[in-house]
Amino acid sequence: MRLINLTQLSAIELDECRNKHPKHALIEKVQTLGLPTRKSEAYRYVEVEPLLRETYEYAEFAPKPIVYGEKIIIEDGYVTTAPKGIRVYYSDFDDVNMNHYDPLYFLGHLLSPKVIMIEIDGDSDIELLHRFTKSNTLISYRIVIKNQTNRHASIYEYFESKNAQNSLILYGYDIMVTQDSTLGIIKNQTINDNAYNMVASHNVKVGKQASMMLKTFDFGDSSALQLLNIELDTHAMVDTGHLLYLLGHAKRGTVSKIVHKGEHTHSTQEAKNILDDGARGIFDALIKVEQSAKYTKTRQNSKAILLGEGSFMVAKPQLEIYIDELEASHGSTTGQLNNNQLFYLQSRGISKIEARKMLIIAFANTLIETIRDGRQQEKIQKSFEEAFYKKDLS
Amino acid sequence: MENKQIDTVVAGDYKLGFEVDIETDTVEAGLDENTIAFISQKKEEPKWMLKLRLKAFERWKKMSEPHWAHLDYEPIDYQAISYFSAPKTAPSSLDEVDPKILEAYKKLGIPLDEQKQLQGIAVDAVFDSVSVKTTYSEELNKHGIIFCSISEAIREHPELIKKYMFSVVPMSDNYFAALNSAVFTDGTFVYIPKGVRCPMELSTYFRINALNTGQFERTLIVADEGSYVSYNEGCSAPTRDEHQLHAAVVELITMKDAEIKYSTIQNWYPGDATGKGGIYNFVTKRGLCQGENSKISWTQVETGSAITWKYPSCILKGDNSVGEFYSVAVTTLAQQADTGTKMIHLGKNTSSTIVSKGISAMKGQNTYRGLVKIASSAKGARNHSECDSLLIGSECGAHTFPYLESKDTQGQIEHEASTSKISDEQLFYLRQRGINEEDAVSMIVHGFCKEVFSQLPMEYAVEAKALLNLTLEGSVG
Amino acid sequence: MILDIKNLHAKIGDKEILKGLNLSLEKGKVHAIMGPNGAGKSTLSKAIVGHYDVEITAGDISYKGKSLLELSPEERALEGIFMSFQNPVEVPGVNNAYFLRTALNAKRIHDGKEELNAAQFLRLMREHLTALGMKPDMVSRSLNEGFSGGEKKRNEILQMLILEPDVIILDEIDSGLDIDALKAVSEGINQMKDEKRSFLVITHYSRILDYLKPDYIHVLKDGKILKTAGVDLVEKLESEGYDWIKDEL
Repeated sequence: MRLINLTQLSAIELDECRNKHPKHALIEKVQTLGLPTRKSEAYRYVEVEPLLRETYEYAEFAPKPIVYGEKIIIEDGYVTTAPKGIRVYYSDFDDVNMNHYDPLYFLGHLLSPKVIMIEIDGDSDIELLHRFTKSNTLISYRIVIKNQTNRHASIYEYFESKNAQNSLILYGYDIMVTQDSTLGIIKNQTINDNAYNMVASHNVKVGKQASMMLKTFDFGDSSALQLLNIELDTHAMVDTGHLLYLLGHAKRGTVSKIVHKGEHTHSTQEAKNILDDGARGIFDALIKVEQSAKYTKTRQNSKAILLGEGSFMVAKPQLEIYIDELEASHGSTTGQLNNNQLFYLQSRGISKIEARKMLIIAFANTLIETIRDGRQQEKIQKSFEEAFYKKDLS
Repeated sequence: MENKQIDTVVAGDYKLGFEVDIETDTVEAGLDENTIAFISQKKEEPKWMLKLRLKAFERWKKMSEPHWAHLDYEPIDYQAISYFSAPKTAPSSLDEVDPKILEAYKKLGIPLDEQKQLQGIAVDAVFDSVSVKTTYSEELNKHGIIFCSISEAIREHPELIKKYMFSVVPMSDNYFAALNSAVFTDGTFVYIPKGVRCPMELSTYFRINALNTGQFERTLIVADEGSYVSYNEGCSAPTRDEHQLHAAVVELITMKDAEIKYSTIQNWYPGDATGKGGIYNFVTKRGLCQGENSKISWTQVETGSAITWKYPSCILKGDNSVGEFYSVAVTTLAQQADTGTKMIHLGKNTSSTIVSKGISAMKGQNTYRGLVKIASSAKGARNHSECDSLLIGSECGAHTFPYLESKDTQGQIEHEASTSKISDEQLFYLRQRGINEEDAVSMIVHGFCKEVFSQLPMEYAVEAKALLNLTLEGSVG
Repeated sequence: MILDIKNLHAKIGDKEILKGLNLSLEKGKVHAIMGPNGAGKSTLSKAIVGHYDVEITAGDISYKGKSLLELSPEERALEGIFMSFQNPVEVPGVNNAYFLRTALNAKRIHDGKEELNAAQFLRLMREHLTALGMKPDMVSRSLNEGFSGGEKKRNEILQMLILEPDVIILDEIDSGLDIDALKAVSEGINQMKDEKRSFLVITHYSRILDYLKPDYIHVLKDGKILKTAGVDLVEKLESEGYDWIKDEL
């Protein structure tokens, strides 16, 4: 165990990265992009700078043996358990996307001498638990997911922590959705009482005729940020979205870039944001349609409800388009519960508090109900309600 | 439709690209304290103004050129620009204005004589660095309205200038505003006294004529309590191979119950299809709704310039104040535009409307960038934005970057945007009725822009339509 | 013979829809085309007006003795061919009256007549609006934007009345119309009938044919006209469908 300070990166000794891009290339990338500050566009609305300035404990790369279990468990960055039928192992990785916009994506790779490789054979539904047990520690790990052509797989990920205060967790996926396959990821993450700090930075390539679904559900009173970079090959589809239910002074949300590269690509992105107390919701989403991506269809939408006096929504739905053969639209609304609806319910004898609850739950459900798997849907519903009823709405 | 055909339809020749051959007094290229002192002296400015200019210059030197916009251009050499050019003979009445200048304005369709006065429009014409003629001043004087060049205002109305200049756009607000604050050469000042409804449209026409000059005009409009004014500006420049810089600043202030309607028809030379030549149009425009129930409305039709970087903004400070932004931006050839607005809601029940229509053709790149910010003090604030893009051809680009920030639990922000091309179906329908392809395209484009054109005063709506046709129709047949 | 279609083969995308279609429209007559879904009825009308979807691979369409195939859609319109669209497209911001005056004046210039000024045109348009039972605000609204189904169809008929074409193609003019609208539309059409003009009525239902009283019924199936007969055929088609019709050739 030793100490690490990310602002003095070049001065610290790191394990040599054993991938195609040697350590210095990644360091260079981090340096040219610069560690995120308040002025970095992607990190403008979260306070990441103080987190990066901290000095953390940092352990040498030391994986433990993996035992069989029902689900994949990653504890403090190391796999402890994995189910049969799925190959989970540590590997070198030579496919870092050198065009990613996020410096912490490169930093994550720089700090991960090996990646956790998850190879999904056939049609599978996988549960993935991230567990954090160390405080004041920098926990950094990268996960690579590969699936098989013509197969359908889904991953349900969730998070647990115990005594992980003041730790900074940098993790993220590099996903290649193989040609003609489908992959779904559902994230369920409630963070309360500043249990840990997290920045998740993902890189997704969706292959020809492949389809990806990525829905994230973020609840609680603490901050975190996820960043997505998604590229679509010919006839690829992506359906992404987030639901935020935030309390206290949580600052959470999604920064994303979806790039349409191939013809006939489709993307939809939908954000629902429920913000109470002094919480801040972030939807900073760019859709880029390159000249090669004829016949693209893309739709982007963010809806926010501000409930608390200090709550704050930042919506930046962005379209960057270099072709005329396409259909593109986006929209964003920020407002309150609909007074007419509230009144209607009250006129039927429902109390104002109850009516508010009903409408908030209904708003959240529109996204929760897009989860096809019934069990997963139930779990998300439960997490939402736990977060929701924790708050006294009167 | 074949792309080639569309290109001929959309690449209208620049019709205002003539150069006027008149004797000018142009200062050597370059920028330092001496240049600024020279400008100030030429303008017969009081000392305090020179001091302010030099202060702005000091700040500018410490700043760097911003590059966050979605624009791509060669670096500007600020030492290669001449910061002052004036017709040699300074006119004191219409009769004394160089006939060639009058003729130039006639060509532009801006007669500075009786004709315009009959239309009930007061005109201030800025030719390169100086205001050549302000019409109708006497009639306006009767109402206590001040409508004069900014240089004259600095000399004649120092108390108003000291109070309001830099109050909305501080001198170090941004790189180009700082540069303007140091070297602004002319522009227009308008003051509408309490309770006065300005009886006519006010108008300024800007023209860059001399070679290698920049134009740095500064406009300041103050509408006192309960007053109203509709102000229009138009711009053009000769066809040149070099890029020319236009860095203007416009400040608007409305007091309680006052309203300013500000319309722009911008037709600077756009450069050619390869991106050679054309005006760099880097402009800071901002309005402050200081008083309750006040209103500022920006309407712009942007067809010219090689590069446009401007965001006419409203700071809605007074309770119930209203901000509006209506924009048509056309980019064809190799033009790039990064334009939009900022609506900053501070007062209670403030409301804003944004309607932006972007048209991109050929290699044009059109970016809408808008910020809507509702502060927690702005209880009950409302915004509605609509940003639509029309794409013509497969090499152009349309980009929409709205920033929507709300801290108000009673407020409402709505943003909608769509991007589409001219639909084959619409085009076919019109053609089936016997309307030729070119007219059909123009008809659809006009329809697309209608909501914005309807905001312009009648005479300018006609001008804007004609201009759009010039830009879009061009040289078929 | 005003319009003569010979051995027409046409594709949409990669699919051949019309496979050697022959059809002649006589001056002053009403021709109805009936046929099952997917038979090629809409493709035929699109081929006549030069729609971008349709590629003609063989055969010819001649109009008043000249081939149409090389003419642009607007040239065909100016020559007097009018199509009432099944689903008229909405064109936001383009004023209905302005559009129609532009179209009419294009035609008048083509015919060597003087253009109508705004006042003359509005008088003409208002007369027709009243006759068709349309609201006066049709003058100021945007072309087809936010129109109900019935309003769109009436607006097509309005254009037809004003443009006074020689060949009128009515593509499913009766779809989505209630009985009152159907009557108004039919009256508008009947008003246009004279010895020089021909109609091509494409429809699924016999209802409109009761009003329009066609002279000929053509059955279009599998990309060809398989049968031509008098109006009596309608009843048989209504009761027995199209299956019994085989290629008579």
